[in-house]
Amino acid sequence: MKRLLFLAAALQFVAGWLPAAPVVPGFERFHASAPSADGGRLLYNELGCVNCHGGDTGLPARRGPEIKGATLHAQSDWLATFISNPDAAHPGTPMPGLLAGKSAGDAHAIVQYLATLKPKGALKLKPSRHVNAARGKELFHTVGCVSCHTPRAGSSPAEVPPKESDFTYASLGFPDLRQKTNVTVLADFLLDPLKLRPSGRMPKLLSSEDDAMDIAGYLLDFEHSDGRLSLGIRPLGTSPELVTQGRALVAQARCAACHELPKEVAAAPQKLQKQSGGCLDPAPPQGVPRYNLTGPQRTALQLYLAHPTEKPSPGRTADLTLQALNCAACHERNGSGGPDSARKAYFQGDHNLGDTGLYPPPLTAVGRKLQPDWLAKVLAGENRVRPYLKTRMPVFGEAVSGLGTLLAQADARAPRQLPGGDDAAGRKLLGTLGGVGCITCHRWGDRPSLGIQALDLSNLGQRIQPDWLYEYLLDPAAYRPGTLMPSFWPGGKAANAEVLAGHTAKQIASIYSFAKSANGEPEGFPQTQNGEFELLPKERPIVQRTFLEGVGTHAILVGFPAGAHLAYDAKSAQPAQAWKGRFFDAYNTWFSRFAPFERPAGERVVHWPKPWSAPASRFLGYRLDAGGVPIFMSSVAGVAVEDRFEGIPNGLRRSISWTGRAATQPPIQHPSGVTVQEEASNAQGRRTFTYLWE
Amino acid sequence: MNKQLTLSLLCSAVAASGALAAAPQYQIADILTADAPSASRSKEWKPGAGIPLEVSGMDWMPDGRLAVATRKGEVWMLEGVLAPTPDKVTFKLFASGLHEPLGALSDGDGLLVTQRTEVTRLRDTNGDGVADEYLSAGGGWNVSGAYHGYAYGPKRDGRGNLWVTLNLDMGDHSANKAPWRGWGGTIGPDGAFRPLAAGMRSPCGIGAGPGGDMFCVDQQGTWVPATPIYHLRKGAFFLNPEGIAPQSLPESPVKLSANVPTKLPYPDAVHALPEMCPPAVWLPYNKMGRSGTDLVLCDAGGKFGPFDGQLLVAEFTDAKIGRVFLEKIGGEYQGAAFPFLDGFASGIVRLLAAKDGSLMVGMTSRGWSSLGTKSYGLQRVRWNGDAVFAIREMRAKPDGFELVFTEPVDPATASNPASYVMTSYTYLYSSAYGSDEIETAPLKILSATLAPDARSVRLRVEGLRALFVHELHAPEVRSVGGRKLDHAEAYYTLNRIPKP
Repeated sequence: MKRLLFLAAALQFVAGWLPAAPVVPGFERFHASAPSADGGRLLYNELGCVNCHGGDTGLPARRGPEIKGATLHAQSDWLATFISNPDAAHPGTPMPGLLAGKSAGDAHAIVQYLATLKPKGALKLKPSRHVNAARGKELFHTVGCVSCHTPRAGSSPAEVPPKESDFTYASLGFPDLRQKTNVTVLADFLLDPLKLRPSGRMPKLLSSEDDAMDIAGYLLDFEHSDGRLSLGIRPLGTSPELVTQGRALVAQARCAACHELPKEVAAAPQKLQKQSGGCLDPAPPQGVPRYNLTGPQRTALQLYLAHPTEKPSPGRTADLTLQALNCAACHERNGSGGPDSARKAYFQGDHNLGDTGLYPPPLTAVGRKLQPDWLAKVLAGENRVRPYLKTRMPVFGEAVSGLGTLLAQADARAPRQLPGGDDAAGRKLLGTLGGVGCITCHRWGDRPSLGIQALDLSNLGQRIQPDWLYEYLLDPAAYRPGTLMPSFWPGGKAANAEVLAGHTAKQIASIYSFAKSANGEPEGFPQTQNGEFELLPKERPIVQRTFLEGVGTHAILVGFPAGAHLAYDAKSAQPAQAWKGRFFDAYNTWFSRFAPFERPAGERVVHWPKPWSAPASRFLGYRLDAGGVPIFMSSVAGVAVEDRFEGIPNGLRRSISWTGRAATQPPIQHPSGVTVQEEASNAQGRRTFTYLWE
Repeated sequence: MNKQLTLSLLCSAVAASGALAAAPQYQIADILTADAPSASRSKEWKPGAGIPLEVSGMDWMPDGRLAVATRKGEVWMLEGVLAPTPDKVTFKLFASGLHEPLGALSDGDGLLVTQRTEVTRLRDTNGDGVADEYLSAGGGWNVSGAYHGYAYGPKRDGRGNLWVTLNLDMGDHSANKAPWRGWGGTIGPDGAFRPLAAGMRSPCGIGAGPGGDMFCVDQQGTWVPATPIYHLRKGAFFLNPEGIAPQSLPESPVKLSANVPTKLPYPDAVHALPEMCPPAVWLPYNKMGRSGTDLVLCDAGGKFGPFDGQLLVAEFTDAKIGRVFLEKIGGEYQGAAFPFLDGFASGIVRLLAAKDGSLMVGMTSRGWSSLGTKSYGLQRVRWNGDAVFAIREMRAKPDGFELVFTEPVDPATASNPASYVMTSYTYLYSSAYGSDEIETAPLKILSATLAPDARSVRLRVEGLRALFVHELHAPEVRSVGGRKLDHAEAYYTLNRIPKP
């Protein structure tokens, strides 16, 4: 029998001639096999029963999408098809069938009416000239879409699609998107689904227009790279008669119970009289919404409706909220949920970090793990701390406005009294010089760790609650089995007996208080503070051309290991600037498309006088001597000149030589703000200077 | 129950999403391709691990090493790239610190690279495999600091002239009044840049074509309605007038005798401005890719398929390579473009023919979008010797066209006029970014006559229009063995209709 049902499901999907049940992933995953009142409460909320019949599920409201002006966002023919027979046009939709026994013309009349209503929010995106469906495919399968939606291909790197048996919960399918929409409109929706669907069941996951365009291109099998070639939404002409007919139908079908619509079609609440018949009838009478409920769905709803006013604990409500929003697709909590085996392969990230580098964190005890302000910001779309996860944490909007408080209530415990912290001891413990070496694996602000790039710890004080940190550090694997994070306080006993005499609570409190103090960084990072693309002259000078502010477009920078550096202007064939300390961050010069004018990374910049005028001087290039020191060559009024600079402690040594005798000496200028000393020499056609400055 | 749903959707979707691939007769092998951690247009773009081989210039050194210039400003010397399997390629850093070199040319005892500000001769004087001289070898064009102020080349034409082309400035600092943005010219023995041709926008790829004449592929954009291929020569003005101001300088060989027209069909614009030189070939937008970046003459002695004497044209956005046949009509080049190879890893920027008949393909997609999914890299294409069934040539005739096929064609399909569909169209010449095809009209195929050797077909066509693109579809034509054409489309730029 079960097998037959499976077959029927497959057929109904392919052909669309059998009704399909609504899909609420949280119900299918956690309740379908053992229907309970809790599962019924979830469905009562998620299928919109509460919107018509009232009550308090304690769960975030799920309203229907914005449908005013729907014809701007979807082809009107598709809309009519969907309204006539929602589950056929979009298998799994919670939208019930409302037009049983009505004609196709009725659906068209409803579309006509909706077309006359002014929508909230306009289309933001313009057709893009750059749509890359191949990239969209990659994004679709990595950023998190397939946590709720059906994967359409194997994971990357290329693997076969998951086996049927690995799916522990149903995915949400798609309508025929090519019939419904086009690339730009779909991308606009993907970029901010909350605009049309503020209830957040389709959360906002993307922040870049390119990403949205590319994913839209992929979902629409768009073969071109130019989004302007995607056909637009066809405008719909309306007729007053049809609009009037549509308005009456919308009022009659009570669309306004779920969708925001004008008062003229308002739907008054309909109090529930009994727990069977009506929508729950396997063959509902005409005029009653048709949900095509499965047996377990119906059972669960009836169990809930038997005692709808029973108040569950905050913990149960929190769990049901996480199921309603399908947080459980990515996050495990108290041993249930998290990526199922079919979808695990689509969670990509940094394999060096083990499972923590691939999967979003557990939500077990999250209400006492994160500081309330921090958690609120996470839910609001800020404070993303795991850049290595390719799966992105979406923004759910108003649906999570009460979730932080609820989780805090659910996870609360009696506070522990940690002793006061010692910042200096905490700094030592975090570092590698006599500490436990957290920075071996963990980043600290902009500072890469010394090894694998695990979570940034510099925000610990703002992010984490101290009691939880204590609980966690004693046994990280209890919180997250399989974590690479070792315990440095196994069984409560400090592995480091030196700092604070090995007092566990004091050590942990000190780590926390140092991080919270935001006063410096742990010991043991490399001496030079460097960005990833900062040039660090070590054994030999480094030469790099760039656009440099104050010098121009022909700057040739030379960084010397001794710590003084030069910018030579190849346009005037003259030295132009010198500075000390850090040399240069080459990121923009190397990798920014927009090639901005740059500045030296160091300080104490000195300038040669402007203009660096020299008569008829021409740059001829430079050669590197055996030590890699560049010797700049120029022709000044027909005289060949060589200008060699070298870094020396506290400054630069300059040796300028020219062909011919003293009479042909080119003009020599020195930077202002330096002490100039000339070395005595008898050599013809050569003078040597040292420039020293503080 | 829903599990089944999932599975059926999976199967259908996987079957439906076909991947691009080069023609089966051509095999693409990776020398090095790399993903970046962020998308190509990200402001925080970073290279992947290893050598950031964003290829921007390539040439063979006399000893067989492959010199590869990168956008970051390095030159790498690669050995072993022509081995049967490229698994033992070695990379040695030859030069660094250059400013976005966008071309490389092995020349005498050194390697010439064109940086933003100058052509530089890199020399290794002590034989340690690393350049120790960076000699200024040419320049004199204005560099404003605009990000788009790229300089391309150098390349030599058949007479040994050393050519460089200069991109228009765009973005900040982009007045384009100072010389010579949007111009091409040669580097004289004194190192001075001699402007020769004007009116280009983003002349990213230059190379000698058949007969040693110099060609250049520009990119669609303002004033450039679709990707054009120009025949570079002294005094020519092509399409984009944004950098025309220096025509008033004494060195300028271009003097426009009339105001630049605008918002005209392109043929009318040509008639309104006598100095306007039509592109030898238009590459219709999307149909032949979107953004041409390089061209190289196919001169492989038959080792790259039956296409010797044609230009291979690199394309960035769709990561593919087109093919261009050129002929001279009335003393000027014109010809046809054909789709050819696709499925490359990233936006193609440089092509280089190898002595064994293979083709090196250098790629980087940073800053723009490409259907190639990798960020950058180097690939090599080889022909496996299997027959290619293609329209090799499309030649203009006074009353139509002659199609030359690579294989004998089936008389029934090839001599049936209904096997061919033709339209012609032109573009709107204006300051807008690109143009739609306009004035599109069908052509009537009056007859299709097969030559006795069954390798060419003479089409008599009604409705030829000078200066229009003539688009041909021949999907019904079969080879003698019943095979379909690898690509059934051709785009002929009919600047001149041959006189009878």
